[in-house]
Amino acid sequence: MFVKNQCLGFVSFLIFWEICHLLLNTHTVPSPLETLAYMLTVPGKLALHCGASMLRVLAAIGISLIIGVPAGMLLGVNETCKKLLSPFLYFIYPMPKIAFLPVFMLLFGLGNTSKIILMIWIIIFQMILSVRDGVEQILPVHFKVMNSFCATSGQRYRYLIFPAILPQIFSGLRISIGITLASLFFAENYAATYGIGYYILSAWTKMNYVEMFGGILAIGFLGIILFDLLDSLERFSAPWLKKNAAER
Amino acid sequence: MKKEFILMEQVSFSFGRQQVLKKVCLSLEQGISYALIGKSGSGKTTILNLIAGFLKPDEGTVSINGTRVLGPRKETAFLFQELGLFPWQTVEEAVAMPLKLRGGKQEAKEAVYHLLEKLGLEKYGNKYPQELSGGEQQRVALARTLIGGPDIILMDEPTSALDAATKEELQGVIREEQQRRGTTLFFVTHDVEEAMWLGQYVLILKEDGEVEQIENPYYFNKDAREQLGFYEECIKLRQLLKMEKEG
Repeated sequence: MFVKNQCLGFVSFLIFWEICHLLLNTHTVPSPLETLAYMLTVPGKLALHCGASMLRVLAAIGISLIIGVPAGMLLGVNETCKKLLSPFLYFIYPMPKIAFLPVFMLLFGLGNTSKIILMIWIIIFQMILSVRDGVEQILPVHFKVMNSFCATSGQRYRYLIFPAILPQIFSGLRISIGITLASLFFAENYAATYGIGYYILSAWTKMNYVEMFGGILAIGFLGIILFDLLDSLERFSAPWLKKNAAER
Repeated sequence: MKKEFILMEQVSFSFGRQQVLKKVCLSLEQGISYALIGKSGSGKTTILNLIAGFLKPDEGTVSINGTRVLGPRKETAFLFQELGLFPWQTVEEAVAMPLKLRGGKQEAKEAVYHLLEKLGLEKYGNKYPQELSGGEQQRVALARTLIGGPDIILMDEPTSALDAATKEELQGVIREEQQRRGTTLFFVTHDVEEAMWLGQYVLILKEDGEVEQIENPYYFNKDAREQLGFYEECIKLRQLLKMEKEG
């Protein structure tokens, strides 16, 4: 059913695209069929570019999780940390992070490190804030229950705080995937040989719009793969969320 | 000679500037069931929280079995009014949690299913709380309270959110388990009938901090609820409470 819905959604998108192509009648918007046919002629090349981007995205999301989840938890449970660090987060959060690109290039060079750090910089604050809010939403009676059983600090994190914030972690991850995929275009537009962002930009400069749209479609497919992976992970690690949704 | 198990001596407690308890003295014996009633805001729940070790008295002492209460103790279990079941834990996981927290993973499963069977919950082991009715959730919370074999069970208005039939069913389970295990039960309620049904002694918390203790002659009578005398006692108790409210 889920796969059927996804196929239906994709076909509707292709129909909309075809209508735009016919209405605009310009070579900058190629036909979807032409684009798909082109993509089938260069599967290896596209896979290589997608693979490079996927590794960067996964590295950025993984590192953001490793730093962002504990930092968000700390802010959620420790009032002093929250008071000290929240103003800094609110200050940084709305800034256009992409503007820091030259700083990262200068500090971390032109290789993968600066690209991954840029993506981390873009998503980590949102991750920290979601986790912090998740901790704050835990009901006081749940903390009281753990207190009444004389739970240690570690047990409180394992049995209460971590499972309670899992929904926020997953929604944070969904947003992060979308943002990191979109930011690939910037992160991979310098000193890159492989990467779907680089692929799109290179096609753009060559004015090869079929190839460019092929790259854009490939990012879309990457999104589908990552979101599906995340949904499976969520079903496995937080099965009660699925049951809640089914009840609604 | 009677020996006090839970002892509150000259306990005073304030929330900020508002004094909730003033020099309250309370002495409870082991293995007995006590119901605490009193007007709203008289500090009933505060007394529960002080015995549980969630709060510390401003003045006076709370001790259990001769040891001063300085924080929550493993042998005291609390059944909360809001239950506090975690949405991410199945019934089995919720009931096993207190044992796991103590490191007893091996015996947990067997003990959990034994207790679930006793409370008529054996079919629901894999269900989440949100898939259960209010009464079933209440029984799960009770099972989680009982699993560790506590020597004291504290309950804050245990059946206040339930419909009449479910309330009666759960009261039956609590009464049976308390009498079978001989656990000290201390609970707060607004429901005089519940106090008379579950409490061997009914304690009335008065404005001046004095606690009046009334022995319940119907406690060991299984058919009390079928007898007129039981309801006459309830009416007397209600009148006492009313007099207390009117000062």
